[in-house]
Amino acid sequence: MTITQHPSSDWLSAYAAGTLPLGQSLCVATHLEFCHQCRQNYSRLNQLGGELMQTLTPVPSAKLSLDELMARIEAQPAAPKQDIEAEGVTLSGAAATSPTKHPTAGVPRSLRKLIPAGYQKLKWSRISPSIRAAELCRDNSGLKVELLRIKPGGATPTHTHLGDELTLILQGSFSDEEGVYHAGDFMSCDQSDTHTPVASVDRECICLTVTQAPIQLTGFFGRWLNPLLRRGYTSH
Amino acid sequence: MVQAQVKAEQQKQLKQWLKAVGQSQDRAAFAKLFEHYVPLLRAYSLAQEPGATLVADDLAQEVMIKIWNKAASYNPSLANTNTWVFTLARNTRIDALRRNGRYNTTIDADDLFEHIEDEGPGPFQAAQTLMTQEAINAGLAQLPKEQADVLHKVYLQGRSHQQASEELRLPLGTIKSRIRLALKKMYLLMGGQ
Repeated sequence: MTITQHPSSDWLSAYAAGTLPLGQSLCVATHLEFCHQCRQNYSRLNQLGGELMQTLTPVPSAKLSLDELMARIEAQPAAPKQDIEAEGVTLSGAAATSPTKHPTAGVPRSLRKLIPAGYQKLKWSRISPSIRAAELCRDNSGLKVELLRIKPGGATPTHTHLGDELTLILQGSFSDEEGVYHAGDFMSCDQSDTHTPVASVDRECICLTVTQAPIQLTGFFGRWLNPLLRRGYTSH
Repeated sequence: MVQAQVKAEQQKQLKQWLKAVGQSQDRAAFAKLFEHYVPLLRAYSLAQEPGATLVADDLAQEVMIKIWNKAASYNPSLANTNTWVFTLARNTRIDALRRNGRYNTTIDADDLFEHIEDEGPGPFQAAQTLMTQEAINAGLAQLPKEQADVLHKVYLQGRSHQQASEELRLPLGTIKSRIRLALKKMYLLMGGQ
């Protein structure tokens, strides 16, 4: 299973510069956990940021003194030891999808704070016979960060999108007219996209989506859900 | 060429200071880092909110404290000190903006950037980093002003593509294509992006 859908350089450079809404950044960050190539590009884009910063004209401070800073450093409480490896879970696309005992074992690291007890324990609401949704949070610009679960073989009618909507496959796969998409694939949809996704028949598909909250759209699986949403099947 | 040597010398020095802080909490070395980075961090912060001197001091201070606390985890074969400090400054700025944002959110900079696995130190990675370094410095020196301006807006002033388009009075597509051209010129994107 190769990742074929990557964030464009527009997305990746805005992520590295730190200018994306946080929900969209989270989607890029989660893709990077799956994708070696984009991690490499990201680290080069950080290097660019480091060099650009050196081109700024330095602005010395009259107020901020080293003594004051050292006093603040000494006044810090002792930092608690970080125990990242205690969970015994390694980070890679393969590990992220392989089943182990820990409830968050299949959950990418960037999402563990939002999904502390695993996918099963989230509050899922049914929005169609084959699709359930669980909102994780809103971001700093009001975007909705949500998971979708599509039953094996679940099909969605042809639909289009409004605005920038991001979808990242976390588990399973699905296909549309253009091809087959697997865990780690990152898709950005706008109004020019029209398609008919179908989840693969052998396994349910779990996706992360980041969408505009006020107009009830849900990423790659989009607008056909709106009539259902308007009838109040979800009440977030 | 002379300038490149000066830069390489300076980077060597900065690495030694940062290493000294990480290994033995060397205060004299930290004072040197303070001297070099604080005025740049203030400039970075002021680029976001011109005139906000107080905020600039706060951000610079917060980043310097992180440098002190995290110096032991700095790995010179993965990133040079400028890259490392840039990522700390970017993350600190994101969290500062988040705290003052219109919507509350639980997503913070650690969720976005702390979980990305390093590629593993090694001679190959170190050589790559150095090559990228040279390509960036050569590229920045020759970059047309129109591309440099857009990079400055986005990377340093922290503007979104949409904001950059409004402030520079250019179509959104032009902003994006100038960034793409600049990145291409510096060979920063591999794999057909």
